[in-house]
Amino acid sequence: MLTTKINRRYKKWLIALFVLLLASGAVIWWLFTLKYDDTKDIKADFTVNAIDFIKEFRQDMTAANKKYSEKIIVVNGTVSVIEPADTTVNIKMIDTANNSAYIIFAFQQQHLNEAKQLKEGEQVSIKGSCSNGAFSNILETEYITFKRCAVNK
Amino acid sequence: MKKTLLSLVLVLATGLLFAQKKTTTSATINFDATTSLDALPKAENKTVIASLNTRTGKVAFEAAIKSFTFSNPKIQEHFNNKGWMDSDQFATASYTGNISNVKDVKFNKDGTYYATVTGNLTIHGVTKPADAKATITVSGKSIKTTADFTIKLEDYGVKGGAIAAGKVAKEPKITVTAVF
Repeated sequence: MLTTKINRRYKKWLIALFVLLLASGAVIWWLFTLKYDDTKDIKADFTVNAIDFIKEFRQDMTAANKKYSEKIIVVNGTVSVIEPADTTVNIKMIDTANNSAYIIFAFQQQHLNEAKQLKEGEQVSIKGSCSNGAFSNILETEYITFKRCAVNK
Repeated sequence: MKKTLLSLVLVLATGLLFAQKKTTTSATINFDATTSLDALPKAENKTVIASLNTRTGKVAFEAAIKSFTFSNPKIQEHFNNKGWMDSDQFATASYTGNISNVKDVKFNKDGTYYATVTGNLTIHGVTKPADAKATITVSGKSIKTTADFTIKLEDYGVKGGAIAAGKVAKEPKITVTAVF
């Protein structure tokens, strides 16, 4: 009688431990295999015009970084330069009237071909994650970087 | 007449001086802090600003920390956190240095040249001397530079449980590639 009671309790603990291990394993597996969603499918936090956006950063870099850093933003503007970057290209929108301050967009792996097909002077809408804005001592101008971008159509 | 000639010479000289300083805003930095325990701490930044002066051999780069992209969002979050790079406070990493043997590199002649770069690297608000071996490939008007070096995270005040546990390399490998 007593042995059966102990066995039942022991069995319950074993099942609980097994469930706990299984749950921990699932959480660890989920964390390790986590990937970024396709930027195209993410709702944008802001939609901006490139020149106004640059102006906002030039006026108050700290406030603009607080507002836009790590947010998904749609930027509408003109492709100024298509710059080779390793095996791919980055797209730049330059404010030539303001010390050539610029926005640069690095594309998400699955959208690299879209960037390669763009033409200089073309009006475009790009959606991406805004990294931040900073002042470059090398170029002596302000710049804003974007990552994981896609052409927004 | 003399004044016109002098102005022309000045304009040409300034033009030549600037032509020797080449810049790109799409240099790349690969950061590899993987270990046998964890293959995830690996990132790439494709929007690095870099410059090269072909006359003096002066080189420089600036990289926004938040532009490093990891495949895993959680690792990226940890990388930017206060305990790690604290990218809100220390938004950029930078390097300024010189090619020690710049006279051996013929920037106007196609070929592959090997160089040593000596300079200072600033990460996490800490500046330390950092030397690198560089390969310079000249092909027509294009100059491709690749430099490799390792850094001790501890030297730059970057510490954390993941480093102590062996999940992040204590001395990550950094590769900088710029095409001018």
